[in-house]
Amino acid sequence: MLFSDSRKRKIVCTSTAETVGRVSGFVVDPALRRVVAVTVKKSQDGDTLAWPQISGFGPDAVTIAAPDDIGSADEAVAALLGKRHAVLRKQVLSSDGDRLGEVTDVDFDPETGAIEAVLVDGAPVDGARLIGVGSFAVVVKAAPDTP
Amino acid sequence: MTRLMRTSELTKRPVVTMAGDDIAQVKDIVYAADGGSVHGFTLAGRGLFAGPLSSVLPWSSVSALGADAVMVADESILADEGGFSGEGSSSDPARRDVLGSRVLTDTGTDLGQVVDVIVQVQGARDQCDVVGYEIESSEALDNAGQRVLMPLPDTMAASGEHLIVPASATKFVRHDLAGFGAAVDDFRQHLEGRD
Repeated sequence: MLFSDSRKRKIVCTSTAETVGRVSGFVVDPALRRVVAVTVKKSQDGDTLAWPQISGFGPDAVTIAAPDDIGSADEAVAALLGKRHAVLRKQVLSSDGDRLGEVTDVDFDPETGAIEAVLVDGAPVDGARLIGVGSFAVVVKAAPDTP
Repeated sequence: MTRLMRTSELTKRPVVTMAGDDIAQVKDIVYAADGGSVHGFTLAGRGLFAGPLSSVLPWSSVSALGADAVMVADESILADEGGFSGEGSSSDPARRDVLGSRVLTDTGTDLGQVVDVIVQVQGARDQCDVVGYEIESSEALDNAGQRVLMPLPDTMAASGEHLIVPASATKFVRHDLAGFGAAVDDFRQHLEGRD
């Protein structure tokens, strides 16, 4: 599933069947290479939904068990919030120090949150190559030499 | 993977950690005492108004030197100015700055003035070798006044005033970086064959 497809997806509570918010963004932990939380807007309860609280990340809605699953970010997630750790639209450097392009989208597994691929100018780069996301660039492992 | 680059292109290149943060930028290049390799970099802060940093980046801490960034493991590798140990950088001012020196063959022909230094990086963790100079050629070469690339022997004599190269170096002059690596190899092989 792509970041671009799932932004603005509604978040529905399965116990009350009400829409409790919308996905506004993704929090990525580059060390784990996975989405650890989504940021939420239009919710009364908070602005962050940690990945383990998500019951299902479906094509039409994100489901959660209780409305108060949405809360404020815990320490680990808060450290990864903000522009400095954003992935989208950031330039991509290889570990060899070459600019590869810009992140146009991210493909993730809706079951686990694992990053499957980072799309660099539209071309997929295997998520396993992701090394770091920092203030200057997203760093990916350099492709092995193709002779 | 071997790549060649002009050292003038290295200044202002950002120093980026594997975590993706730019922690400094290259201010200047420090050569090893014999002038044959890059010993490390002095650094400046990032941003328009950032001044020079007191910390330096020894070549041994560089993970990769790429076209767009100098990659390092993390911030902790920045060394104090003492990080360049005694056996390293030359403090002899006459040898400190090669730019502007005249290139003289061992037979006494002035080939031109050094305007840039060409380095070669083989791969991660390898030496960053100085393999050639870009010179503004004198009348002695066919294309006087133009910039040409001159391969260097492994070792040579240099003062602040002159650099001495074998006369045969003129046969290995190139006009651009593509193919220059091969010219350097050919030239060095040629020198070995002669000795």
